[in-house]
Amino acid sequence: MRTILLTLILLLSLCFGVNAQRAKSVILVYLDGGPAQTDTFDPKPEMGRNYHGNYSGVCKTNVEGIEIGEKLPLLAGMADKYSLIRSMTHGSNAHETGHYAMITGDTSGGAVVYPSFGAVISYMKRDSYKGILPCYISVTSANSRFNEGGFLGNEYKSFDTGGKPEGSEYEVEGVVNKFVDRKRMDSRMSLLNKFESNSMNCKELDSLRDINMEFIWGDSREVFNLSNEPDSIRQRYGKSKLGQSCLVARRLVEAGVPFVNVRTTGWDTHKKHFQKMNTMLPNLDKALSALIADLDSRGLLDSTIVLCGGEFGRSPKVWWEAPWNGGRAHFGNAFSYLVAGGGFHGGKVVGKSDKTGEKVAERPVRPCELIGTVYLLMGIDPYGTLPHVSEGNLPILPSLIDNKPSEGLLYEIIDIKSPDHETTK
Amino acid sequence: MKTILIFIVCLICSVVQVAASDRCQDEVFLRRAYLTVTGALPWPQECEEFLSDTNPDKREQLIDKLLKSELGLKYMQMHWGDILRIKSEFPSNLWPNGVQAYNRWIYEQLLNNVPYDKMVQELLLSSGSNFRSPASNFYRGFQKRSPQNFYNNINLLFLGNRNCSDNGYLCFSQIKFKSTKEWKEEITYLDFHKTVPWQKIRLEDGTILKLYPDSDWREAYVLWLTSRNNRRFAEVLVNRMWYWVFGKGIVHEPDDWRDDNRPSDPELLKELTDYFLQQNFNIRALLKKILLSEQFNAKTAPEGGYTPQRLPAEVIVDAIASVTGIWSTYSSRVPEPFTFYPPRTRATHLGDATVSSSELELFGKVSRDVSLESQRNNAITSRQLLYLMNSSQLERRIRKSPTLQKIYINSTNIEQLATAITLRVLSRRATEQEIAMYKEYAEQSNQPLMETAIDIMWMQMNSNEFLYNHKSLRL
Repeated sequence: MRTILLTLILLLSLCFGVNAQRAKSVILVYLDGGPAQTDTFDPKPEMGRNYHGNYSGVCKTNVEGIEIGEKLPLLAGMADKYSLIRSMTHGSNAHETGHYAMITGDTSGGAVVYPSFGAVISYMKRDSYKGILPCYISVTSANSRFNEGGFLGNEYKSFDTGGKPEGSEYEVEGVVNKFVDRKRMDSRMSLLNKFESNSMNCKELDSLRDINMEFIWGDSREVFNLSNEPDSIRQRYGKSKLGQSCLVARRLVEAGVPFVNVRTTGWDTHKKHFQKMNTMLPNLDKALSALIADLDSRGLLDSTIVLCGGEFGRSPKVWWEAPWNGGRAHFGNAFSYLVAGGGFHGGKVVGKSDKTGEKVAERPVRPCELIGTVYLLMGIDPYGTLPHVSEGNLPILPSLIDNKPSEGLLYEIIDIKSPDHETTK
Repeated sequence: MKTILIFIVCLICSVVQVAASDRCQDEVFLRRAYLTVTGALPWPQECEEFLSDTNPDKREQLIDKLLKSELGLKYMQMHWGDILRIKSEFPSNLWPNGVQAYNRWIYEQLLNNVPYDKMVQELLLSSGSNFRSPASNFYRGFQKRSPQNFYNNINLLFLGNRNCSDNGYLCFSQIKFKSTKEWKEEITYLDFHKTVPWQKIRLEDGTILKLYPDSDWREAYVLWLTSRNNRRFAEVLVNRMWYWVFGKGIVHEPDDWRDDNRPSDPELLKELTDYFLQQNFNIRALLKKILLSEQFNAKTAPEGGYTPQRLPAEVIVDAIASVTGIWSTYSSRVPEPFTFYPPRTRATHLGDATVSSSELELFGKVSRDVSLESQRNNAITSRQLLYLMNSSQLERRIRKSPTLQKIYINSTNIEQLATAITLRVLSRRATEQEIAMYKEYAEQSNQPLMETAIDIMWMQMNSNEFLYNHKSLRL
């Protein structure tokens, strides 16, 4: 009886494409601090200076009817490659809870701490991914405001590269150490082996060290070496930290890494918002457009999901008064995300914010619905489970089944059809 | 059937007792005691003093000193902070001021060696402001503040019970919270407006508690919990202290007491619990007894009970800092205002799981999300070794190390150099065999002496002797 049921479930899931993997990798371009949706992907030029601030114009994109912020002309020229979600919402205006929501898809308030979706993907790929490079890499570091590995544990946390990809030498922590060449390392290791030959050594350390020697001196070392890249390409991404980090991400995805988190900080602009945006937005424009175009020209965009957004957006209304003098506050009610590649359609807009941008007007998208769609494209069942040490198996995305109003996963911008339980809900 | 099998296995185990191994050498004991009680390495001077001390009671004197030292108390405070989930932000959300007050309260309990039953009573019966009545933070540190969650956590912490099925949670149903005008100040208070005249509650073990109107219902439960008649309360603490010392509980996991999870050595548990009760819940006396036990003093023999434990994240990060003399700086980005810790603050003393660093994350600092001991994962990973083997961070620290430079200046030859490095990094004297090995290395490598010094320090910091606390435990 049970076997029949299992076969049935398997057949059903095959029909509905739950296991049909489109994407092999995810690149999350994370704008830590919260970018202003009204200055990026959801401009409100008609709302006057109290809303649009210094940016009264817009860029018409190459897709009719879609306009984006005036500081993003390069992205405007390729809107057919990505889609915009203009109705992201989780309602939280605090960094830590907003971050938790966007990175785990869970809502805070439960008894357990969920892992980040990078950690979940890393866990799910633990057997199938065979690369020597870590499965989940952060360029250059993950946000440590909550426990990235959640209840899955340390093993699935991201590998932080550290270092400066925009510098002359990108010192990836543990891999590139300019003081030590192969010869020096070998003589150090032989000293260590001699020292340990008469101690009670665990064989475990020896084999881990062997793995590391392969990682340090093998092919993967070259993946981090940006000088292998033609200067024209490096210029195209921009010489900013964000630009070169995106280039590293492309190289990692090319090498087969399943999840890359490009985290860039400085988006928490309570004060001097527009002055800061004048340099940060062109950097973003350059980096993100180059990343998408580069992946596309290498035939990697079909198998690589690119996501861009922060832990929330920023208040559509500008705070002109002192001490803010033209700043924007945290805003979790309605904000935007860019999605591209890996099975996501291009040239579409999902949802709508209202006239001022302060409320979601159409098709609210909760973090769990975005992350659930990413899981789906990565061949991970968004209704599956994760093991918890004391609580047994827990739903991978508890918010997807919490019976709150939901318009479901983002089936409107992917090729996978919605199964019945999704549409009848 | 399963029980019979387990019984037979236990029987065999108790018959085939491995003969007691000899006591470990003084230098092994010194490092082991320091790391276990204080989470810190001994300074070279302390090593020299202890190793040349001829007093037969020197181990006992050392234990007494360490248990009362600030380092020892702060390290103990970290352990309590882990299971009480002391953290500014998600998921405990105590905020920096609350965290500070709570930590200070724990420190004072440990400093004054407040008997365990009294300490738990104050912790669980406090009400008032989170700043002025620090223990009241206990009830604030929950994402979901419900009587059931309070009760589950109390059961886990003090009875090692992961599944409570009785309705004891009613004792915590009067707890309410209200904020004041002060930033992030919150009052924990009891709401007596319950219409029930009085209730009877039957606990799992059959005890009946009576709850009267207009009284603190927590009291009935907490007095039962902490009474001498509730032997489980004392046993769980005894076992937890054993676990903190050895990394393995007599009942294991230490927070999973079930009928089918028996103590591996019931006699030992009984003996220690009897002693703890006889000493009126004196935690320091209990720890001293454990630290002077034959087990803690045993040799690290490769056969049988050799259990190396990787140093906990905070301890390893502090060890790297103290060996090289270059300390990390820590700050908290939780508003408001931001907190900047003084230079040379130890990671073991941070007191707030929201404060972190990439190194601490790498080595698995406890995130304090749950009250389980198992949340601390000391398994070694290839990435941790990668950091030690080849990171620029560690390489720069060794190259810029004021400690190493001082050693270099004060040494005229490789022998003195290696001896001083070994004393600093491994807290012991170098053996003749090792000195010969270093001499050979210096000759072969044909590089400036300082570069050889760097290599020796690197090598010792990568050795399993440095990474582990070497103890012997037979359970």
